[in-house]
Amino acid sequence: MVCALLAGISSCTGEAEVSLDTPTFTVPKNFPAPAYALDRNRITSAGVELGRTLFFDPKLSRDNSISCAECHSQPNAFTHHGHDVSHGIDNRVGTRNSLPIQNLAWSTSFFWDGGVLDLDLVPVAPIENPLEMDETLYNVLEKLRKDSTYPKKFKAAFGTEEVTTARFLQALSQYMLTLVSANSRYDKYVRNEGGTLSADELAGKQLFVQKGCANCHAGELFTDNKFRNNGLSLAFGTDLGRGRITEAPQDNYTFKVPSLRNVGVSYPYMHDGRFRTLEAVLDHYAEGVTETPNLDPLLKQNGRLGIPMTAGEKASIIAFLKTLTDEEFLKNPQFIQK
Amino acid sequence: MSNLFYFPLGEETIISMKSILSFVVAAVLAVTIFSCSKTEVDSIDPNGTGGLTLEFDNYVGGTNMALGTAQYKNTAGESFTVTTFNYFVSNIELTKEDGTVVKVPNSYYLVREADPKSLNVSLTGIPQANYAKVAFTVGVDSLKSQAPVTERTGGLDTGSYGTDNMYWSWNSGYIFMKLEGISPASTLSSKAFQYHIGGYGGGFQGAAKTANNLRKITLPLGTTSAKVRTTTTPTVHLIVDAARALGGTNTISFAATPTVHSPALAKPIVDNYVNMFVVDHVHND
Repeated sequence: MVCALLAGISSCTGEAEVSLDTPTFTVPKNFPAPAYALDRNRITSAGVELGRTLFFDPKLSRDNSISCAECHSQPNAFTHHGHDVSHGIDNRVGTRNSLPIQNLAWSTSFFWDGGVLDLDLVPVAPIENPLEMDETLYNVLEKLRKDSTYPKKFKAAFGTEEVTTARFLQALSQYMLTLVSANSRYDKYVRNEGGTLSADELAGKQLFVQKGCANCHAGELFTDNKFRNNGLSLAFGTDLGRGRITEAPQDNYTFKVPSLRNVGVSYPYMHDGRFRTLEAVLDHYAEGVTETPNLDPLLKQNGRLGIPMTAGEKASIIAFLKTLTDEEFLKNPQFIQK
Repeated sequence: MSNLFYFPLGEETIISMKSILSFVVAAVLAVTIFSCSKTEVDSIDPNGTGGLTLEFDNYVGGTNMALGTAQYKNTAGESFTVTTFNYFVSNIELTKEDGTVVKVPNSYYLVREADPKSLNVSLTGIPQANYAKVAFTVGVDSLKSQAPVTERTGGLDTGSYGTDNMYWSWNSGYIFMKLEGISPASTLSSKAFQYHIGGYGGGFQGAAKTANNLRKITLPLGTTSAKVRTTTTPTVHLIVDAARALGGTNTISFAATPTVHSPALAKPIVDNYVNMFVVDHVHND
């Protein structure tokens, strides 16, 4: 019972005893220290509850038609399953594939291009993007102030009924911070909690390192949080990625290295969602790497583009990647609005 | 004041009533005139503070700014109207006649032509002194641009803008200066032009920094110092000429560049608008 109360996000066996102010957020044993400044936004159950209500509320969009959860659905690691690029209001179509919302406390930048550096400021972008929710933050706050239930929820979370920009954003952050995925079979294996990997999966794990995948999809978060050009052809458009933010030519066509946690359920892949399967992704790295400006040197070694892999090696790597699927995370009832 | 009213009595015995009367009238007039123009202000209380107002009076060339109606011409010869003219003024510094610099803490102000209240920036708690210079940054410095959301209040509140947005949500940062309008020369179908200037020089993990369009403007107040006293709150009347954002160092043409929405492309306009602020005069009252 204590475990169930404490965990909030998962079985308590997987959690370290480090509790940051509250039982709703804990740092998994195999994870590094969070990047988010948790001391600036103390996570409380009332704050998380308010954030979750907001996340699932279509009032955040111009015509009250779509919520954050529309493009960030739990069974797909809070991404927009099946859509190459995400669909917004009035069936308008965005330019990029929505990223999963998971383990954001460890993220040092947000969005494919890293244009936002503070989790608290992330929700402003989809709310105000004309292709997504097409609303102004100002209007959203006005709607919440006039609502019969929100001021009470703000009071529970922040002490008074005042609905402010900071409180709205901090509540959303509190909820998103609790979306920690750290209980995949892989995690239970590395933490010696009874998780087992098959011979094929273990071979894949080894190949993942040997072939250099882990150079970028590094550490327990499976990303180095850097921006790299992984050799995607420009056949699907010329999105400059990070270059659009820095306006520095050396950043053109680079995108954030995404985490591979729950990669088995967060298809499609790449910033524009061009690959529907992990097989297509591995085929890209084996045979499809294109030499575009700023191609990452790791993908052109000894004059050869890409990473040589046999069919068997690719299959083993994919088998390993699927051990990163965290069923507890994908089905945790606390993450969805009751 | 006592010398002015010295009235020699004594040996002078023959004084006509008329001359006394004219003297009194003159004296009364003098007092009246002096109290109106108040050329003499209180003495400085070395421990006292007072207020100072910066009045931003927006013009286009020699003509006052009237949003949406008045027709103007840029240096490229293209006619236009202005629909929006906003800018952030921050990190205000006042320099005393003796050269001492007084920094106004946490000074961030959003000036919007559409909001008359915003055109007068009232500073309080200013040490009493004669000030010879005013300086400020156009924009929001890098520290504040990356500050926690709880420290973004007033004009910095990203949820306060409504449709007149002064914040880039996709590339986190404030829009330092926004000049929008309509010109038949614009190549956009709407005939609009939109110049959104931002870019605080942010970087990330040692990677390339974005363009830094923060500029400090320093303006000497000229012959009349701003005299901050207990009972005197000077107003520094600034003329802000939006036409100078479009010409001067670089000629901006609505046909060639109808929109600017990113830091790197903004530089030609920034190099212009550093010259758009001029101190017209100072009132000490």
